This record gives sequence, structure tokens and C-alpha cells, in this order.
Amino acid sequence: MLKLAARSVGRNAQRSALTAAAMVIGLALLIFSRSLAEGAHEQWITSAIRIGSGHVAIQAPEYLESGKLEHRIGAVGHERALRAVESVSGDQVLAHTPRLSVDGLASSAASALPIRIEGVDPEQERAFSDLDEKVEDGRYLEPGDRLHAYVGVELARRLGLKVGTRFVLTAQSAAGDVEGQLVRVVGIFRTSIPEMDQGLIHIPIETAREWLGTPDAVTTVAVLLATSRDTDRVVSELRDALAGASDLRVLGWRQAAPELDSALRMDDYGDYVFHSILFAIVALAILNAVMMSVLGRRREFGLLQALGLTGAQTGWVVFGEGLFLTAVSGVVGMVLGFLFTWGFFRNGLDFSGLAESESAWASAGGMVDPVIVPIFHSSQVLLSLYFILIIGTLASIYPAMRASKLDVAEAMKFDR
Amino acid sequence: MAPDAVWWRVAWRNLWRNRGRTLITASGLAFGYLSAVVMVGLTDGMVAELIENGTRLMMGQVQVHSAEYLPERNMHRTIGGYDGVDLEALLARLEADPDITAAAPRLYGGGLLSSGDETKAGLLYGVDPDREQQVSTLLSRVSQGRLPVPDAYEILVGVEMARQLSLSIGAEVVVVAPASDGSMGNDLFTLVGTFETGTPAIDANYAVLPLSDLQYLMAMDPGRVHEIALTVTRAWDTPLIASRLAASLEGSGPQLEVTPWTDLRPELAEAIGLMDAVNYLIAGIIFSMAIFGVANTMLIGTFERRREFAVVRALGTTPLGIGRTVVYEGMILGAISLAVGAAITWPIVVWWHNSPPDLTSVLGGFSFSGSQWRPILRIEYSYDTPIICAVALFLTAVLAALYPAWKATRVPPADALADR
Repeated sequence: MLKLAARSVGRNAQRSALTAAAMVIGLALLIFSRSLAEGAHEQWITSAIRIGSGHVAIQAPEYLESGKLEHRIGAVGHERALRAVESVSGDQVLAHTPRLSVDGLASSAASALPIRIEGVDPEQERAFSDLDEKVEDGRYLEPGDRLHAYVGVELARRLGLKVGTRFVLTAQSAAGDVEGQLVRVVGIFRTSIPEMDQGLIHIPIETAREWLGTPDAVTTVAVLLATSRDTDRVVSELRDALAGASDLRVLGWRQAAPELDSALRMDDYGDYVFHSILFAIVALAILNAVMMSVLGRRREFGLLQALGLTGAQTGWVVFGEGLFLTAVSGVVGMVLGFLFTWGFFRNGLDFSGLAESESAWASAGGMVDPVIVPIFHSSQVLLSLYFILIIGTLASIYPAMRASKLDVAEAMKFDR
Repeated sequence: MAPDAVWWRVAWRNLWRNRGRTLITASGLAFGYLSAVVMVGLTDGMVAELIENGTRLMMGQVQVHSAEYLPERNMHRTIGGYDGVDLEALLARLEADPDITAAAPRLYGGGLLSSGDETKAGLLYGVDPDREQQVSTLLSRVSQGRLPVPDAYEILVGVEMARQLSLSIGAEVVVVAPASDGSMGNDLFTLVGTFETGTPAIDANYAVLPLSDLQYLMAMDPGRVHEIALTVTRAWDTPLIASRLAASLEGSGPQLEVTPWTDLRPELAEAIGLMDAVNYLIAGIIFSMAIFGVANTMLIGTFERRREFAVVRALGTTPLGIGRTVVYEGMILGAISLAVGAAITWPIVVWWHNSPPDLTSVLGGFSFSGSQWRPILRIEYSYDTPIICAVALFLTAVLAALYPAWKATRVPPADALADR
């Protein structure tokens, strides 16, 4: 039966090639656009996460909701968190850094703006975030810095700051008082993410601790991983390691950065809509082609049945044809899509011509590099293949049923 | 009967001789049309939301500042310098312009808000509530309480800020802000209401005060404002109206700068351009897939009709006549698909536009290219998208018929009839 199906595919080489081409192109397109979307997401996550609180954040249990200094981690908790991070198996953890963050007001003679102040360890932060590479003027913080501040380019403009200018940070201290701190601009950065360029300041963590009256404290231990896919694994490993510590909570980036999470999910949603449409069109093309092949071959099937095949057997031949076609074109499409995308794999695909300013690519505290490097997930590629096969199978059912219910005499009677 | 009409009739009959194939192909094209219109509509909806939140929520379509105010937004650079202006006269003069429907003065400040033990930094937004409502939509988002009344020390804050400061309506709020004379202004205000925009960054950071109260807090004269926001009659003409207005304000009174929103937020305008490009890309992919499906079917159709074409040729039809018939088939098919596509697309689009799925409860809002965005998937429909898609659909069907038509003209009658 299979042989019969395979032969009849081969006999109509031209038609088979056309049908297969529809599937091949559809699948190749799917793999291409999926891997690009995947690549863009990973860049987006990484950029937002290195400036933000990492793939995994260890905080006091109430800190995420309150954002207040009273929910901080003391020296003991910090020590315990560090031990847990260092105990994570494998080489998933690229870097980790302590942060003491507080919302406050930055004011100069020109203006006052609400901002986020991050007290950081200059050396560890350099390995963790790429903010130190975004220097526009001056330099990043260095060990031994005291009253130095690293500010965004937009904030500097709004407050009239230059490297060396002094300005005042005001925030509520741990004791509940409003405390001011005079700092001096040591460097100005540009991330092209509007929220960061206008609303983020790095100061040495020791300065922040002294100013806010929180010796040895941190609000977050941020952990950077090699890829965002490891997040869940590391989170559960850290949760196990810190099971006894009720003063510490381990958060994945989806929880710690809900804004980024919703932006990504929204983007995913759009992708799903687009891919469903693509799938539906491929499915229609397949259905169409298989239908054509059957409707035009009444006489051939009539002959098969006249030669002794039962209706069911004829149906199986048609079904086998559909499956055979789908399987072959599925594999070819996958390889083609892979090869096509592979051409862009190392250097990435440059979309920067679409928009002049980099800010157009920024969203939810992160940004997509206009040069998108596609990422392949074997699971997703297999899923696409699986879907194509299912569609092919479904599309073959109806024609097969038609073929099985053929009236032999009627089909043979008329000369085409 | 005119010779051409015969071919149309032949084409029409040919289509219905193979009803199944025609219906499948037509439904494929109609579905392609639906998908393209919906995808483009979704992106347009997102763009509309970006413009809405980026301009209508707070910015206004055109802003008038002192020539020295932008880009630093220095607090001292009020319109008319340190002395301020005759605000009423300036507003009246702006509103006298036929293209301007409303004008609202604004003053910006940054400060700390405290209540009990809690303190938070915020942006202070001094407005004339009556005028502001004609220019931006922020004040229409009051979720609880009411708008503040001038000179009564009343304040309106975002819901997230109220939550962080544990404020309820009627609570007292201490506002501390650097004043223009170098001192720290501070005053006690009563919370009269909260607003909710659905976008975290705005709900957590903004406090709205009556203009006169903020002027007093920041030690500024009543004539001093940073900005006058305008609503114009023709939103798409904003840059033109702005430049005309700038010319008419030149020379008399204080040095002013008139800026349309496209210049205030170039990255937003760019992001919109980017999304338009993505739109074309998506529509292009959908139609190229559709064209492929149709061409495929028609080509297979012509292979199977070799004998039929041969008979027609043998009966004396010219190759041109056969080719023409196939192209006409494509055109009729396109027209049918278009009718079906439009019939299913319109109700869906209208429904989706009027009751969009609101994912705000599942997902939070987030920023996009510096503009806040809520996850409401509204479809925006204009009249050009469906028309462009319709033309593309029709061309798709006709283009897809060209190659099969050419193939059909080349059927050698003798060979085909002899089944070789």
C-alpha cells in the first residue's frame, strides 16, 4: 500500500513538487521568523536584566511589593545568600552583585527629578551589568570612590550636570527621616533606554549605606546567568539551598521584573497570532493541493478499485500519499529554514536601517539590539515540524474519504 | 455578443465546473485578506495606543515653551523669563488662532511627598484643571475622589503612589520641593482624589496640583509657567500648524518656541515608522504565502485541464483566447474571494474594535520606546488598509493566474489529445 502511495507521488512529480514546495516554504519561513523572534527576546531580556535585578534576584520577602528600605537584607542574610549562589552547580552563574536601591529625588539648581538610586560595588557591577561600557563622558565608578555618582545622559541634561558637577540626592533613610547626600558626577552614560537615561543613578554602595543609615545592608543580590532558559532551574536550586532562611526570597526575572514579563508575553502573543495565520495558510495550501490531486484522479482510483482494491484501501493509498508528501517536505523545509537562517547566525540580521534613533528599539526597561542574532531552540523547531505533520495528516483525511467512497462504475464511465 | 464577453462567460463556467477547487482557493484568499487586515489592524491599534498615551494622556499635540526651556527643561526658564507673562492674554491669543481648539498652562516641579512615616519622590504637575481637560486625558482617569480645586491646598496623586504612601482620600500630604529662589518650599496638602492610567510609571510618580498652588510652593509669580499645551484641529497636520503658529508668534512678546509632538518625541515617531515597516513585512509575507497557494492550485488545475485546453484548441480557439480565459478565471476568483473576505472581515474587525480583549488584569502595562502602553488589543481600522489589502488580493489572484495562463497557451493540441 505504501509502495503504491509512494509511486503515485513519484508519478505526478510536477504536482507533488508544487505541493511540497508550499509546505517547504511555509516551514522554512516559520523556522526563520521563530528563531529571529527568539533571538530578539534573548537580547531584550539580557539588556533589561543586566541593568535591572538579574535573571535571579534574592531579596527580603516583602521588598518586591514595598520597595522600602525597611525590607532589606542584613549582613547575615547577605552572607547566606552569597554562599547559596556560590553553591549553584554547573557554570550557569556568570556573575552576581549586591545592590542597595532606593527611590529618591535628584536635585540641582536647575531642576529636581524623581530617580532610582542604586548603591553598587563598582568591581562586581562591572562584571554584572554593561552600564560601565555605555560611558558617554567621564568614567564608571571605581573601587575607593566615595561621593561619586554615575548618571544618565538625559538626567544630566535636565539637571544641567557635567562631569565634576555636584548635586543633591534626597531619600528616606532607614530611620524614616528624609536625608540629603551631596555627590559629584564622575561619569555620564547613554543606554538609549529612556527610563534608564533619565531615571537611574549608580553610587558606591558604601556611600549609600552611610547616607541611608544601613551598615552592611543590601536590598537585592542580583544573579546573572548564561542564558535566560536556566532561570527556573537556578531559582529552584537556590530556593532549596535557602529553604531554612525565612528572611530571604528567591525571584526569577519574570516575577522581579513584571513589566518586562508582560512586554515579552505581549510580543509572544503577537508572534502566536502571526504564526497561527501562517500555519493556517500553509494548511489551506496543503489541503488544496491534496484535494486537487484526488479530485482530478477519479478515473485512476476507479481503475484501482476495479482491479480489486476495496474502498478503504483506496482511501489508505490517498492518505499515505498525503503523509508521504508532508513528511518529505517537512524535513526538507526544516533543513532549508535552518540553512537559510544559519547564513545569518553568526553575524545577525541588521534591522537598524528601519529606525534612526536607538530609543525606538527600547521597551520595558530593556532594548533589542537592531542587529538580531537568531537563536534556535530544538524544541521549537520540532514543534513546527510536528504541527506541519499534523496539518498534513488532517488535510489528507477528507480526500482519502472521498476516494474511498468512489462509485467505480460512474468514475470509469466517462472518458475524463 | 461582444467577443470579449464570451471569454468572460467561459471563464465563469470553468470556475464552477470544479466547484470544490474554486471554493477552497477562494476561501484561502479570503482568509489571507482577513489575516492581513487583522494583523495590520492590531499593529495600528498598538500605534494608536502609543500615540494616545504618548501624546493625549499628558503631552498635548503642540507645546509652547520659552525659547530657552528645551531641551534642559530648567525650572527657571519659564515663559517670559523671571517676570513671567500675562497668562490670560497669551492663552486668549493662542486660542484665537483658528487651528487651535484649546490651550492649557502647565508648571513642572520635582519634590518629595510624605505622609506619616512614608516618603516618596514624585513629579509635581501644576495645571489649570478646566483647561487641562481639553488638552490631555490624564484628569479624566480619576479613579476615586475628585479633581483638586485651586487655592484650597488640594492634591491628586496616582493610585500606585497613594498605595506606596498608604494614603486614602482626605489624608494629609507634606510636599517638599526645591523653589525657584533656592529655598525648599513645603506645604501641607489634602488628598482629594487618585487617578489610574494603568501604566505603572505614571501612576507611581505623578502628583497633580492646581497651577496656582504649585506656583506658590515653588515661589513663583502667577504669570510664570513652563509650558502651554495645545490641541489642534487637524492632528495629522500638527507639524505644519506648529510652524505656522511659530511664525505668527514671532516678534511680539516673549521669545517662544513652538514644538509639535513629533519633535518632542522623535523616538515615538520613529517607533511608529518602525511598526509601519513591520506591518508591510507581515502583509507581504501573508500575501506571498497566499499568492503561492493560489498559483499552486491554478497551476495544478491547468495541468489537469491539458486535455480540455487541447479540445478547445482543436475546435479552433487561439492560444490567446485560452490564456485570456485563464486570466479571467483569476480575476473572477479574485472578485469572489474579495466579496467573501470583506463579508467575514468587517464584522470581525468592527467587533474587535469595539470590545477588544483587555489583558490589563493578566499582564501589567509597560513602556515602549519611552511611551507607556497598556495591553489592550484593540484593532484600529482605517479605510486605506482594507482597500490596499483588497487591491493586493485582486492582484494576487490575477498574478497567480499569469503563469498558468501562459502554460495553458502552450498546450500542443495533438500531443495532449493523444495523451502523450
